[in-house]
Formats: sequence, C-alpha cells, structure tokens
Amino acid sequence: MIRFSKILFAFIIVVQLFWLLPWFYHFTTDTPTHIPFTLYSIVNNDFACLDYNSEKGIKYTDRRGNIYTNRQFDSILPLFYFRQLASDGRLPDSLNGVEITPQKIRTSNFMFRLSASEVNVKKTPLHPLLESMSGRVDLKMPDDVCRFTDSGIEFIDMATNTIKQKKSKLFTSLMKKKGFEFPLNCIGGNPTNRKDFDDGYFLTDAKHQLFHLKQVCGRPFCRFIALPDSMKIKHIIVREFAARKFHALLVDTSNRLWVLDMPDYTLHLLPINEYNPQKHDLEIIGDMFNWTISLSKADKVEVFALNAADYSFIDSLQYLSPPSIPHQLGHYIFPFEIKFTSYDDQYTYPRLTDFSAKACCLWALLIMIVLFLIYKQTH
Amino acid sequence: MKKAILYKEWIKTRLYFPISLAISLAFIVFLILRLQRVAHFKGVEHIWNIMLSHDVIFIELLNFVPVVLGSLLAIVQFIPEMQQKRLKLTLHLPFNQQKMILIMLSVGFGEILLIYLVNYSVLYTYLQSILAPELTGRILITSLPWYICGITVYLLTAWICLEPTWKRRFVNLFLSCGIIRIFFMNDVPQSYDSFLFALSIFTLSCLFLPLLSVDRFKMGKQDLS
Repeated sequence: MIRFSKILFAFIIVVQLFWLLPWFYHFTTDTPTHIPFTLYSIVNNDFACLDYNSEKGIKYTDRRGNIYTNRQFDSILPLFYFRQLASDGRLPDSLNGVEITPQKIRTSNFMFRLSASEVNVKKTPLHPLLESMSGRVDLKMPDDVCRFTDSGIEFIDMATNTIKQKKSKLFTSLMKKKGFEFPLNCIGGNPTNRKDFDDGYFLTDAKHQLFHLKQVCGRPFCRFIALPDSMKIKHIIVREFAARKFHALLVDTSNRLWVLDMPDYTLHLLPINEYNPQKHDLEIIGDMFNWTISLSKADKVEVFALNAADYSFIDSLQYLSPPSIPHQLGHYIFPFEIKFTSYDDQYTYPRLTDFSAKACCLWALLIMIVLFLIYKQTH
Repeated sequence: MKKAILYKEWIKTRLYFPISLAISLAFIVFLILRLQRVAHFKGVEHIWNIMLSHDVIFIELLNFVPVVLGSLLAIVQFIPEMQQKRLKLTLHLPFNQQKMILIMLSVGFGEILLIYLVNYSVLYTYLQSILAPELTGRILITSLPWYICGITVYLLTAWICLEPTWKRRFVNLFLSCGIIRIFFMNDVPQSYDSFLFALSIFTLSCLFLPLLSVDRFKMGKQDLS
C-alpha cells in the first residue's frame, strides 16, 4: 500500500509539473496575434482589410497595399458602413446598377459566427418548438418542449412536467407519414424569440434523410428535403435572418458546407475549403451582393468571397498565423503538455498535447550527460 | 479492536456530523426556496427556458459547500490526533497500522458520503417534480464534480494533517491546491461528463495518500523544536 501511495504521489507531481509549468510558460510569454478584419469590397472588387497594430494603430488597406483613410474605407465598403455613409450623406443611390437604400441594406445584411467551442458542448436534448405563424409580430416561447425518442416525438408541458399525449401523437404520426425514421440523428434550430421569424428545426433521421419540422398554427409541418446521393449531414446551422435568403447551412461528413435556399429548398455547395465545425471557427458576413466567409483554422485564416446571388466563387486569400518564437521555443523545453481545457471545446478532461521529439531528445541528452558525470565521479 | 476504532472516530465527529448535515441541508433548502420563488414569480417555464438557452443550473451557490464540509471534517478528525500526540499511541495499538488508518479514514469517508447522498436525494426529489429528467440530470451531473471534490478534499486534508513535518505539509498543500483546481476549471454544465469516472478513481486512490504521511511519522520524521 505504501508503494502505491508513493507511486500516486509521484504521479501527482509529474501531472502537475507538465500541466502547470507549460501553462505558466505560455501565460507569461504569449503574445497577441492580429488577423486583419477582412471584407470583400464591391467597389474595389478586392478584399479590404482593417489591420490593428498596437504600435501603428488602425491601418485601412487592401490586398494591393493601397492605404485608405477612415472615410475612404467607409466608401469602399458601402454596404457595411452604410449607417455612417447615410449619416454623412455619402451613401450612393445605386451599386452595380441596383438601387440601394438604408432600409434595403439593413434587411439584406447579416452577420453570423459559429466557433468550435459552441459546437463541442453538451446540450440538453430538449427543444422548444415555437409557433411559426402566430399572426403576431413578436415571437413567443412555447409552453412546451419536445424530445425525440426511439419511436417518436414527445411534447412535455413545462408547467405540469407531463407529456402532451395528443400533440405528441399528432406530430409523430405526421413525421412517420412523411417518411421520417426514428430515432433522430442530427438536429439544428434556433429556439429563441429574439429573431425576425421562426423557421423551426431541420433534422436528419436514422437513414440520414433531411426533414424540415415546424409548428404552424398549432399543427405540425414536416417536409422531406431530397439530398444528393450518399450525402450525410453531420451538422445543421439554422439562423433566421430578415433577408429570408436561406433556411439553413448544412455540413456533411466530408466537411463541405452547403446552403439550403429559401423558399425552394434547393441545395448549393459553397466553393470554399474544408470546414469542420468541431475544429474550425466560421464567420459569414453577407450583404445583397457578396458573402465574405472566414474559416479560422489552427495555423491560418482562410477568407472567401462568394457571389450572394448564385454562391459562385469570386476570390480568396489566406492569413498564416505561424507560432510565435516563445511558442516554438516551448517545443524545445517541454516534451509534452497536459491540458484540461481547450479553446475548441467546453469539455474538461486531461489531454496530452504538443508532443515534441526535439524536447524528448534534449531531455534524453541531458539525462545521459548527468548519468555520465555521475559515472565519472563514482569511478 | 475495529469497533473500538470506529467508536473513537465517531466520538470525534459526532458533534460535527449533524452540524455539517444541517448546514448542507440548509443550503439545499435555500436553493429550493430560491427556485420556488422564481417559479412563483415567473412560472416554472422560465426555469426550463433559462436552463435550455443559457449555461445556468440554478444551484451554482452550492459550488464550494462540499469542499468546505470535507476539509472541516478532516480537520475535526485529525488535528486533535496530531496536536494531542494521540497518533503515536494509536499506532502502538496491537493492530495493523495501515488498516487502522484506513478504518479511520473510511469513517470520515462514510460520513461525508452520507451527507452528500442526503443532499443529492433532497435535491433530486424536488427537481424531478418540476423539471424533465434531462434537466434534473443536467443539474445533478453538473454538481457531481463538486461532491467528488468534497471527498477528495477530505482525504487530501487528512494527508496534510497527518504529515509530521511542516516543510512537507506545505508541499502537500501546494499539490492539493492544484488537484482542487482541476475540479473547478470549467463552469459550463456537464463539461466534466467524460472525466467523472477518472476523477472518481483518482478520489478513491487518494485514500492511500494519508498512509504516506503516517509512514513518514513512523519513520520518525519530525520538525526540530
């Protein structure tokens, strides 16, 4: 038992050394990395970048290296800075032959962010299904939530904590009639009343078929959506924007990002690089002409400009974010690091990261030298 | 002999046990009343909606209660043992020393476990009456690391208390702080789910740490006075 206690004591010391020392090293040596805020300019037909530098301050530029003033930068991104331009009386009447007004721009603009840590989190498998057609402007949270079982959908009345049998049967029978095979595989929705309208949930069944589920005037609405052959959806993102341009963004098992258009449910594959919601951060800033999509990955940020009308590829650029010198130096000091949390998820468990062969070799060499010196002293 | 040791430990903790049980239950009752108040003012639906849309479990106040109760129990049980130099006498009894320490620890372990089980049962009984099993489970599973930490802290405090030298006591204290930190690194509900089993195993293995202190005590390690 004493031997076990000693082993445990040594284990605690080793774990804390490889956890706290690298943590302290990074805590004291980490430097901020600035990736310029980048948007595609409909005026310049190029990316416009807002770069912040702690020494030089804010720098407005484009890919060709042209430097802009604050006011010039507003003008090359008229759909993003439309409020400033309107306030200055500088907002053009039309762009690319399309008439624009602040109201039109406000309706068509949208901004959307999804980080890996928002995806990698344990969620409660209860879903509030809002009324999509209440006849009221303001949405209201429902008095029940639904859960998916192996054989159907169940609505639970929150006030009494009991199952609404009639409603559950009604929804289950309609979903089965439309071809939904329980149990549920994947679900995406935006259950909040702080949005312009409600589009319910998009879900895939046991056979990876995609369906749209809504509650319309208290009645179920379930629609089968045909997918290309062998396409399996692994993540569904639903955000109801005022422009009502698309129902949902879908990510398939090959890490391709698709848009499900509104109102005809046509699918479009976005011509961007691999997007894995479990690992990468996604940001889309859209207006009536273009979408600027940024994918933040471990070592780089990829920016894509797409045509908002047909999602065709316009341009792309990427920012590399190489590890800082102290970080690289850390690979010579620590053979590995123990971390309990990560920026990419909201789970806590021990993870061995940053294995470094260089540090292993260095440590082995040091141990050999010490052993050699001890041997030399004793003999 | 076993009975005598058990009785001796009970005498030491018989006052602390009901007090800590009462304090922990008072916390639970307060949290239940707070939930009742929210339900009364805004309806139970509000609790459901907040839990589904935010990372809230309504019992965050309970966070450090198990830790405080666990450490106080170990202090009540082992400080007199060391201060009045009773450990020396105890170790001279004709009984396996390691077994004896483990029995002493298991008394405290059992008491603290009982307190936590009562807390959990009261909480479960109330929560399942107003919330769906998914939400009740979310609250209870989220609070589980706090309770496991309470047991770990009891064993770590015993380890520190039984240590004969101050220098090593500080080392143990430093390592214990690191261990406790692991239990409170993330306040997102259910973030410890995949770590709970490993934490439980680690907690059980901590039962053997105080043996190390006792072994050092037996070896005659002492501060020079």
